[in-house]
Amino acid sequence: MVNVLDIKVLRDLWAMRTQVLSIALLIAAGLAVLVMSVSNYLALVGAMDAHYRTERFGDVFASLKRAPNSLVERIREIDGIGVVEARVTQMVRVIRADTELPISGRIISVPPSSQPALNRLHLVEGRWIDPARRDEIIINAAFAHARMIRPGDAIEVILNGRLQVFRVAGTALSPEFVFATRSALPLPDDRNFVVLWASEDAVAGAFDMQGAFNDLVITLGPGAAKAAVIEELDRLLIPYGGIGAHDRRELPSNRLLEDELAEQETLSIVMPTVFFGIAAFLLHVVLGRLIEAQREQIASLKALGLSNLPIALHYFKFVTVIALIGAGIGLALGAWFAVLVIDSYRAFFRFPALEAHLAPWIVALAVLASLLVANAAAATAVYRVARLPPAEGMRPQVPAVTPLAQHIGVMSERGIPMSYLMALRTIVGRPVRTLLTISGIALAVPLVLFGLFWFDAIAHMIDVAFGRIERGDAFVTFVTPVPARALHELRSVPGVLLVEGQRIVPARLVAGHRSYRTSLVGLSSQSELKVLRDAALASVAVPDDGLMLSRPLAEHLGLQIGDIITVEVQEAKRPVFHLCLVKISDDILGVSATMDIAALNRMMREDDAFNAASLKLDESQSRIVWQRIQAMPKIEASSVKALWLALFDETIAGMIIVGALVLAGFGLLIAIGVVYNSARVALQERAWELASLRILGFTRREVATILLSELVFELIVAIPIGLTAGYALIKFIVSLRVRESFQVPVVIEPRSYAMAALVVIAAAAASAFVVRRRIDNLDLVAVLKTRD
Amino acid sequence: MTLGEDTSQPRALAGDHPVFIARGLSKVYGSGDACVYALRDVDLEIRQGEFLVLLGPSGSGKSTLLNILGGLDAPTSGSATWRDHELTGASDADLTAYRREHVGFVFQFYNLIPNLTVRENVRLVAQIASDPMCPEEALELVGLSHRLDYFPSQLSGGEQQRVAVARAIVKRPDILLCDEPTGALDADTGRLVLGAISKVNAELGTTTVVITHNSAIAGMANRILRLSGGRIAREELNRTPLRAEDVTW
Ligand SMILES: Nc1ncnc2c1ncn2[C@@H]1O[C@H](COP(=O)(O)OP(=O)(O)OP(=O)(O)O)[C@@H](O)[C@H]1O
Ligand SMILES: [Mg+2]
Repeated sequence: MVNVLDIKVLRDLWAMRTQVLSIALLIAAGLAVLVMSVSNYLALVGAMDAHYRTERFGDVFASLKRAPNSLVERIREIDGIGVVEARVTQMVRVIRADTELPISGRIISVPPSSQPALNRLHLVEGRWIDPARRDEIIINAAFAHARMIRPGDAIEVILNGRLQVFRVAGTALSPEFVFATRSALPLPDDRNFVVLWASEDAVAGAFDMQGAFNDLVITLGPGAAKAAVIEELDRLLIPYGGIGAHDRRELPSNRLLEDELAEQETLSIVMPTVFFGIAAFLLHVVLGRLIEAQREQIASLKALGLSNLPIALHYFKFVTVIALIGAGIGLALGAWFAVLVIDSYRAFFRFPALEAHLAPWIVALAVLASLLVANAAAATAVYRVARLPPAEGMRPQVPAVTPLAQHIGVMSERGIPMSYLMALRTIVGRPVRTLLTISGIALAVPLVLFGLFWFDAIAHMIDVAFGRIERGDAFVTFVTPVPARALHELRSVPGVLLVEGQRIVPARLVAGHRSYRTSLVGLSSQSELKVLRDAALASVAVPDDGLMLSRPLAEHLGLQIGDIITVEVQEAKRPVFHLCLVKISDDILGVSATMDIAALNRMMREDDAFNAASLKLDESQSRIVWQRIQAMPKIEASSVKALWLALFDETIAGMIIVGALVLAGFGLLIAIGVVYNSARVALQERAWELASLRILGFTRREVATILLSELVFELIVAIPIGLTAGYALIKFIVSLRVRESFQVPVVIEPRSYAMAALVVIAAAAASAFVVRRRIDNLDLVAVLKTRD
Repeated sequence: MTLGEDTSQPRALAGDHPVFIARGLSKVYGSGDACVYALRDVDLEIRQGEFLVLLGPSGSGKSTLLNILGGLDAPTSGSATWRDHELTGASDADLTAYRREHVGFVFQFYNLIPNLTVRENVRLVAQIASDPMCPEEALELVGLSHRLDYFPSQLSGGEQQRVAVARAIVKRPDILLCDEPTGALDADTGRLVLGAISKVNAELGTTTVVITHNSAIAGMANRILRLSGGRIAREELNRTPLRAEDVTW
């Protein structure tokens, strides 16, 4: 025989189907964030590990000026060395008919007839180079894609000042260039940066490096001590112009990747915890109210002799069904959004295989978590209700007659409409429930705000980075340091309005046992095109003498003002200096090491030397400007702000916006779940009272006002609390970001606050509309019968 | 003024012209073989100031009839008019206005608003009426002046029902409709409530319809209708209605 209570479960589920669905969506939103962020993190880590393993990514890298191939044998003898791959690599320039802008590239030698032993290539299109032909080349797939280059196409490369035409044999991905980037840019610049792999003969021939190498990729043997190996390598390489061997950590691509993954890891724990935590709390509130609204039924069942257990089981079944629906929707949504987000990552992370993947344990975890949370919520609510003696439970729940409630009566004498009075009485008569509902609505706000925040943060970062800090229109770097004369030459190009030179020195900063590789930037104190700014956007003055570090870098190195720091220059003769840290800046760009350019020149024993420049251009003449600049042999690379911005829009912005929209969407679902349910439960609890008022001759509108003014009150209190909580939550999550490169500012525009509030108000308005329709359709006669 | 004065005089005058006219009222629930006739072809006239009692076994259609008269329910066929108001086919807004302006209801289960005090429950209705009496006055009429600031949960059932009566009459309704007003009360309390209702009928001249299972109460009426199976089975006139305190349960 079918248990009668089981029939009640089904009837209840069906009768409350919209509420059931909205609660399920609440669970679903919490779970979807969990599923999405965990699977994305796992997908990225999985893709990276697989790529690094399959393509045998090196552990240690070293660059030098030139060493004979015979040195390789001696390197292999170092204790702890695994595989050694020696190669020749240089910066080159590429000429394309489809742009007048300079394209810079890195050419790397590979064995003509086989993959290299380390840092292998994953061929995407085409084939390996033909050993018989010296003009064949493989290019990185990202550039090929961005410039629409196919195998068989020709590509013009300026090697060592000589133009050479290569034929593209294939396109490939490399673990070294997951982000293909010139070191300075924290973004893959797929349109204007290319990686080229050509045969050893071709590269060595072009750079007079026959029988020699200038770059090493090394793996370590099992149990090797990395530091010792690096030290030994440096000892061997210094006579050959070695500029310091380093861990793979310091390769730009890998550094960005690891930073990103570390951040994803934190977020993949924090975000779902926050979302699911809030969803769980809301579930508690909503289910609690829903079950409490049935207190009279529960009391009657108890009065009939049922014990607490079957009653509790009844509600467990009820919420289990809801939890399972929620888990189902949550998994589906999560898996779907994971695919969306992974797709948006593809422009950013160049992996051979990056697939969203729903691990069985995540599914199990999601289902378990939702069952647990839902049943815990049901258990406490049932306990609260079942604890009451049946007689008390069967009486309608009457608001406590508190002095405050009495006092409110005085207001009615002053002509406060009775409808507000009734709402107020309900609110103060059941303060705990009112508080829970208010906090429920309040908590939906931060989730929406958190999604919207990213738009503001990005806009702000762009504005600050390109409007306030890098104020030039373009940036060029020189192959070697140039005298002031070269800057004048640039300035004389028609269309160039202003030129400001910089001296950028790659260096290893060492303090005790800590070190950091970065670039020491020499700036003029009168610089207008590059202005360092602190978080308040005030300009940060560069000290006349001594070194200035940004706070994260100073902290990383454990330094304080007045401390002495060792600077190992990684250029040319590799001089080592000791500098005094004179200033710590709150530079919002994250990591920076800055000096006055004159002081830097003095230290380097150069006079007035520059190797980079910021330019201000007349946009209308930029074509001619770039044609002229292209022709200047000393210029190594250049980047153009407008292009960079476009690139940013396509990659990072796209990626963040997808994530932000998804989060805001989940926030919206949660907001709807909470507001709709509290409005519905309020209606359910008071349908009888409202119908009585209708019988007395109150209009639909008047009756709706009574119920909805309660909701309005809750909203008015909840939204400011929610916005404040949102700010706090965002501040907290941002503080967890471990990025060294860019500090995300906690900037939330009034528009976003307004939007978040509006979203919740819209959810409330929609709920109010549904409730209003229900009030309109209240069956007055039925209400008279069911009351007892 | 105390309850239970001789109120027979005004009632004897009642019955000049009909205020309610119902013709061929039927109410059918369901359809086909499974249909239930709650009312079958009922013709009825109720006169100004009349005290009418509806008797009849459970399920005979009393509440259905009362609800149609009060503009809470619509008949399946037939017509019901109150003065110049056509109740059948009227819009919800018109019926609401009708209830608001002309009808006072008293139900078996009091239907008070739990989070309003006695005075506020009455004021609630006074606020939406065009010519109400003052709430305290209405409460005095039902003998509850000493409970003005109590909440319903702090009152006995009989007291609550008297609040409901005060609430029904505060707007000076033209018709007072009571569905088993004493159903949940003991004899003494019931008498108090009935006294309040009959006093309103007598002093304000309010046309009053009372449903009851208790035929003793019928002694108070000018006219008694017995319903059975959705029809009016019998009609009795009562030339000497009893006073409430003389009713024996
Ligand atoms: N919503 C409904 N659906 C189906 N049948 C109904 C419905 N409401 C009432 N009925 C039927 O209509 C008939 C008349 O009901 P009504 O409530 O008018 O009876 P009553 O005379 O007031 O009875 P009681 O003295 O028990 O209150 C009953 O047989 C009842 O079963
Ligand atoms: Mg009835």
